[in-house]
Amino acid sequence: MKKTGFLYDKRYLKHLTGAYHPEIPERLTAIVKGITEADFFSSIINIEAKPADSEAIETVHTKEYIKRFHNACLNHESIFDCPDNQICSDSYDIALLSVGGVLTAADMIMEGKLNNAFCAIRPPGHHAETDQGMGFCYFNNVAIAARHLQRKWNIKRVGIIDIDVHHGNGTEHIFEKDPSVFYYSIHEHPSFAYPGTGRDFDIGKDEGTGFTKNSPVLPGRGIEEYTKLFTQDCIPAFEKFKPEVIIISTGFDAHEDDEMSRIQLSTQGFSWLAEQITNLANNYCQSRLLSVLEGGYCIKRLPELARNHIKILLNS
Amino acid sequence: MFINKSMTVNVIKITEDKTLAQAKEKMAKHGGIRHLPVVDGANTLIGIITDRDVRSALPSSLDVCATDIHAASEKLKVKDVMTKKTVVITSEGTIQDALLLTQKYKVGALPVVDNSKKLIGIISVRDLLRAFINVLGIKEPGTLLCIIVDDNFGIMKKITNAIYEEKISTGSILVARYWEKNKRAVFPYLLTQNVTGIKRRFKNLGFRLLDPMDWSIETEEK
Repeated sequence: MKKTGFLYDKRYLKHLTGAYHPEIPERLTAIVKGITEADFFSSIINIEAKPADSEAIETVHTKEYIKRFHNACLNHESIFDCPDNQICSDSYDIALLSVGGVLTAADMIMEGKLNNAFCAIRPPGHHAETDQGMGFCYFNNVAIAARHLQRKWNIKRVGIIDIDVHHGNGTEHIFEKDPSVFYYSIHEHPSFAYPGTGRDFDIGKDEGTGFTKNSPVLPGRGIEEYTKLFTQDCIPAFEKFKPEVIIISTGFDAHEDDEMSRIQLSTQGFSWLAEQITNLANNYCQSRLLSVLEGGYCIKRLPELARNHIKILLNS
Repeated sequence: MFINKSMTVNVIKITEDKTLAQAKEKMAKHGGIRHLPVVDGANTLIGIITDRDVRSALPSSLDVCATDIHAASEKLKVKDVMTKKTVVITSEGTIQDALLLTQKYKVGALPVVDNSKKLIGIISVRDLLRAFINVLGIKEPGTLLCIIVDDNFGIMKKITNAIYEEKISTGSILVARYWEKNKRAVFPYLLTQNVTGIKRRFKNLGFRLLDPMDWSIETEEK
């Protein structure tokens, strides 16, 4: 059995998005319920969240952007950068706490206190660009974690696997010229789904060419296409890249009961993906695997999806 | 939508007395362009020469060696192979005109001329595509939906009202003829990730949301 960490903090519920928004605190409540009720709950290790410092955030985001976001919250604005991004006056602090929690989890993995971890955080991060908030995202948690691993722990190669049903435009753009971070994403085809990026011919730029890989999936194709594309696109690429740590942008919104997408992935489909990723981590990264929550909006399904995910991390 | 904002104004052009070798070199030097408008000394358009015209006029590399091809290209002049009856458009032409012209005459680019046939620009299929990418709004993040509605007066008002009430910005709305009689397929490209509310609203209005795998904007044969 692996040493698996679980990050959650009640304060993550304080980021409020107003009425009729799918990215709501109840998502986390559902996830936590699914995990605390699991038979393996006593075997997982609790991770305490603390706010990230601005130096860490500045490895990815511009100072001007950070300040703009901070000011929007200080001024009690309800929208930041685009109408999708509804905020409250606590959002900035909670976003810092999200990043900080993820960085603590990364440190615990590098210190050997954990093999892997699941971070039940919000707001999510993979749509956030260096200077632009979008798609419910403010600070790119995963990108900041990758930079943290490089700076503090001298990691040479970070592999990111993004299984959220939406393409992680922010993460891709942040690392598209950087051969030290491999970004792989499997998502609903951009001609049908938000944010309209992540085509199979987007493979990185300049020095980073060949270190970005996208597997767009047509609506309704489900597990069959996921199995085929993940096996053909991700596994060989990661075997070649040999990441020292793998970070997962874990979105549960490709699920067949999630109204945010039309991919129709089953609960078993998510387990299959998690098993493939833990295998990669066992083979190349001494099992070092950091899983960070992105989307997933079906309150009914989130408990089982998160529970299965952690169970696979624990038993991998 | 006039073409003057989409066309290239610094046109790479040639005169009719130049050799095919010079024409080839000019195309290669400017990033592999495929069309050179041919002008006289007063910048009046007198024809167009394409890379295809040049290649067709020269012997095949299967039959002769590279030196012979080069010799032929030094001998032949632009005026010998250029198309004299050029399909042109004026700067007051629209994007729609340009699309229909390129389709009708199967050309890859249209020289743009003023009223006295002076060359003032060129618009290529690539320029038109760029303009269309703009029109579709697909460079901005968003979600595309497809709804099937009755072809009734006022239906678009209901659609735009629903989008307005959900406080969503619109990237574009395409309306396509649908294969069912008296129906239209409407494709709103919405600049949001949060489409659950608007989808519900469309359904409540009695619209049918089409399965993405059945989407099509064309029903006519090619």
